[in-house]
Formats: sequence, C-alpha cells, structure tokens
Amino acid sequence: MSGTLRTIEGVNAKIKKGDAVVATAEEFIQIVDNSGLKVAAKEVDVVTTGTFGTMCSSGAFLNFGHSEPPIKMWHCWLNDVPAYRGLAAVDAYIGATAMSETQGFEYGGGHVIEDLVSGKEIQLRADAYGTDCYPRKFIETTIVLDDLNQAVLLNPRNAYSRYNAATNSTDETLYTYMGTLLPRYGNITYAGVGQLSPLYKDINFETIGIGTRIFLGGGVGYVIGEGTQHNPQNGLGTIMVRGDLKQMKSQYLKGASIYRYGTSLYVGVGIPIPIVNAKVAATAALRDKDIATNVLDYGVPSRDRPVVKKVSYAELKSGKVTINEKSVPTSPLSSLRVATEIAKTLKKWIQEASFFLSQRVEPLPTYREAKPLKVRKVEPRVRDVMTRKVITAKPEDDIKRVATVLLQRGINHLPIVDAKGKLVGIVTSWDLAKALAFKKRTLREIMTQKVVTVQEDEAIDVLAQKMARHNISGVPVIDVENRVVGIVTAEDLSKKLVRRVK
Amino acid sequence: MRLKLIYPHGEVQRPVLAEAVLELGVLINILEAAVNADKGELIVSVEADKEKLAKVIHFFQEKGVTVEKLTRILEIDRNKCVDCGACVSPCPVGAVKITPDWSVEFDEERCVGCKICVNACPVRAIKLIT
Repeated sequence: MSGTLRTIEGVNAKIKKGDAVVATAEEFIQIVDNSGLKVAAKEVDVVTTGTFGTMCSSGAFLNFGHSEPPIKMWHCWLNDVPAYRGLAAVDAYIGATAMSETQGFEYGGGHVIEDLVSGKEIQLRADAYGTDCYPRKFIETTIVLDDLNQAVLLNPRNAYSRYNAATNSTDETLYTYMGTLLPRYGNITYAGVGQLSPLYKDINFETIGIGTRIFLGGGVGYVIGEGTQHNPQNGLGTIMVRGDLKQMKSQYLKGASIYRYGTSLYVGVGIPIPIVNAKVAATAALRDKDIATNVLDYGVPSRDRPVVKKVSYAELKSGKVTINEKSVPTSPLSSLRVATEIAKTLKKWIQEASFFLSQRVEPLPTYREAKPLKVRKVEPRVRDVMTRKVITAKPEDDIKRVATVLLQRGINHLPIVDAKGKLVGIVTSWDLAKALAFKKRTLREIMTQKVVTVQEDEAIDVLAQKMARHNISGVPVIDVENRVVGIVTAEDLSKKLVRRVK
Repeated sequence: MRLKLIYPHGEVQRPVLAEAVLELGVLINILEAAVNADKGELIVSVEADKEKLAKVIHFFQEKGVTVEKLTRILEIDRNKCVDCGACVSPCPVGAVKITPDWSVEFDEERCVGCKICVNACPVRAIKLIT
C-alpha cells in the first residue's frame, strides 16, 4: 500500500530489539512543533495516549467457584451492592453504578472493584430458591480477589474520544453527572482529556479495532468492539474493553461517588497508536486547539440540551471561557495528571519490551447512528393536566376582593399578570393570610416575583420534579412570550397519576 | 485571611466591626455570625496585607474582642485525591486551583469554608477540620 510508513510486525521487531521510538501524545506534538509533521511521522513509531475519567458503563464479571453444598445464586450482594445474577450458578456481573443498599450514593460497584483490586476483603451474600442440583438457599462469606476463578473487567463503553462540557443557566446549583454546576453560568466542567485522548488520536480508526492491546486499569487489556453509543462520525467514538482484574492496580481503578447522582468508576485507559501512515500521524498530532466540543446547558432537563457555546479543549484547559461577556471558570472532571502518567507508563512498557502491539482482527465501524429511544405509548404532557380557565389578578388589585374570589372558587394559587397578560408574580392563599395579618393592601406588596413556571409541552415528570424541588403545589403554565395560558396544581397532577397507575 | 472574633458579654452592642472598617479603611466580609446572651462570635474575611492585618487584629483586641486566626478549615487527603479537578470550578473564591502539571492545589488563605468542594469531590478526599 502506498503511503505505508511502517507495519505492526515491523514495530514489534523494533520493540523486541529495544529500538522502537515511542513518544507520548504530548511529546509527539512537541516533535511536530520542532521538526514538522513529516519528520515526526518518519521518526516516531508509536504514540502513546491516556485517559482517566469516570466511566459509568464499566463493571466486572466474577466467578466465585462452588460452595459445599452448592448454590445457584438468585440475588447476590458484594458489600451490600447488588450484582447482576442472570447468569450461571456462581457467575455475576458487578456494575459500576450499582449502589449499596445500606450506604447508597457513598459506595457502589465501582468501589467494590477498587477494593477487590486493592486486595481488600469483600463480603459476599447470596440467596437462592434451592433446586435438586443446587440445594443451598443462602450463603454469607468473605472473598478476596485471589479467591476468584475469574475476575474480568468488561466495560461496554469507555474512553469517549471527546465529550461535552457542561454549564447551568438556571438560578439554582445543579448536581449532575458532570459534577456541581453553579447557577447563572457560574462554572463549566468538562470531561475528556483533549490532545491525550486515546480515541481522538486515531479519530478515523485507522489502527484501533477488535483485538487492539491496550493499557487498562494498570494492566493489559483489549479492545473487544465498538462501545455502546459509538457515534464516530460526530467525533464521539467509544470502545468496549476487557482485561484481567487480577493484573490491575487500584490507582487506575477508583470508585467514585458523584453527589446526588450516583456511583461510578474512574478507569485508566491508554492506547498505543502505531504511526502506520501520514493520516494517522496527522490525527496523532492534533492539539487541544484543534479538538472542538460543545458547552451544553444542563439546566435544561432534556435529551436535547441546548448548545451554549462551541469551544476547543485549549479554551477549556485555559481555566476560563467567556459566556455572555462573563468570564466563567472551567475545570476538568477527568484527571489530566493521571492521564499523562498513563501515557508515560505505556511508553515505558513499550520501551522495556514488556508490551507489544497487536494486529487488530476487525476495524471498528466509522459510522453508527445514534438513535433516541422512542416512547411509543402516549405520555401525558402539562397541557393534559392543566386547568385552562385560569383566574388571574393585577398587581394593583385589592387584597380583600381577591381573597373573596379565591374563597368563592376554592382555589389556592393566583397568577398575577400585567395589562398584556404576561406573568409578573404569584400569590397563594397563604400569602393572603399573611397580608391580612400584616395589614398589606395590594397584591404587589405580597406577591412572589420569582415564579416557577412550566410550558404546555413539558413532560409531567419534569413538572413533578420542579414541584418537589421547590416544595410548591401550584405552577402557572406560560407560553413562549410569558403569557399565562393555564395553571397546574399538585391536585391535578395526582389525579392524572392515579389514572396512569390504573 | 479569615478571623474568628469573639465578643465578650456586654461588648456585643458596640459596633466594633464598623469602627474597624471606618477607622482602618479595611474591607471586612462577614461569613458567619452568631450572637447570644453570653457572647457574640463572628467569622470574617479580611482583605489586607500582613501589616494591615496586624493593625486590624490589634484594633479588635484593644476593644476587648478575642481574635483567632482561622487558617485551617479543609484538608485534601493526598492519598485519596486523583487530581480530577471536579472541585475546582465550583469553588466561588478560587481557593482550589490546578497547577501547570495538572495537580489540584488548595489555598487555605482564600477558603471561606462554604464546603461546596466537599460534596463535589467524587473520591471524598476533602474533609472539614472542626
């Protein structure tokens, strides 16, 4: 093939002799800066990469071996974290996001994996219904990693080539899988490591494929396929990986507790990119400034979060990004320090000839549709539960008159609108009681001006979440121009929910 | 620098803090305040250089207010921290920073003890010192 710079066999022969030229992704960029891409591509055999971030689609297959008498485990817990048991008698899968039934968000499957790797004792508990071949109905014991026949880390989706950055337009602090997001664009968090990213350095999947040998959790692992939600045509490639947990190190597999979100696992992944041709050399040389991503508004609880800004990883890593003329602090969620360490470690392994490159047996797809989940059953929206004939009042209205209206109509919430019907506040029966006690006269003096609102086409689950979060029982429904088109109360919602259950 | 100001019984009614602001022309930000029948306790942040800070402390002491320097509020357990940075941008005062080699560094002088970083830390490496 024309343009071929080197083959995997050729690189491995050089590794064996101790002659291979290996550079980390950042060193490779330096070489390109100094000598140009052509020279760098000729000189460097392998570019090493690394990433270390929370990867929720991670977990481990464990085989416990058989007890005497044997058990076909039905439910199984490791340190009170439920493991998946839809497999043979004593096989289980412990997923990173499974949470402890006693410690909740503080301890999960990710922590169990970290503890196993660090050699800690894990409490194993399982129940069973008992069969002729597996009579035991309950077991409680402790295990350590060495006791297990197999402990295989098998992660369905790791190492996104890049990821979104997150910010929050709302008036409240949000706690998301992208971390703590301060109100009113108070900060930006970002995942992914930019120019160190294993998949971004071979963004066209010229070398990475099924069978690619990689650094995984401090040990050796393999790419076993495309990752779930692999979407390479949009620069959102992912890989599925597996590796022997018994070889791994806890410094590269860390349990995570993401506040008010759940548990996860930091996974260390490093991929060697052989510079087989000029195209790979060019992608391996991509810099933070060449890698673009979107800052999304996580204040919008929707699948399609609006893009607030397009940025490069160079901007994100600078620590500040401007949004609406305001300088907003940024910070990573992936450890760039550990990612760099992984790229350096993999380089060392190759230089010491303790790690050889593998020939892939299949390439990964370079196109995959990212399909949303269709909800085929019609689900109620706000418009289906709201009251359209909404009684409103004006800010200058007299309190006594308004109190009479509320009593007559038996309602508790009164949206306050201006002359054009636009929402300016809300008054509840409780506010009216206070007004009488403190001798206020007009609604303007007592109304709440910061009103929690919904729009007609929002899902009722979003409405319910809003009501619970703000501890309120009535929400005005507004259109895009802030005009009141209805009102929805906790009572409306509960009636609808009862019908839904029926 | 953060200071804890302990006002003895009888002194709580005097506007000592306002006097300090006016006389010394120093910016004092009240972070926490608790006043009861026995005494008053304020936690304040004072923006001043060493010399000015010494004057501020002296001023309060002269008025019978006990001053304690608060230098330690939080501690990052370096054995647990993975230097991810999840605590950095949520910090409202820039007290946690990322160094050029991508390690997380904590600046005690700037910390106001809001504790947002404690929850933001996915490996629970940040502990309050009480």
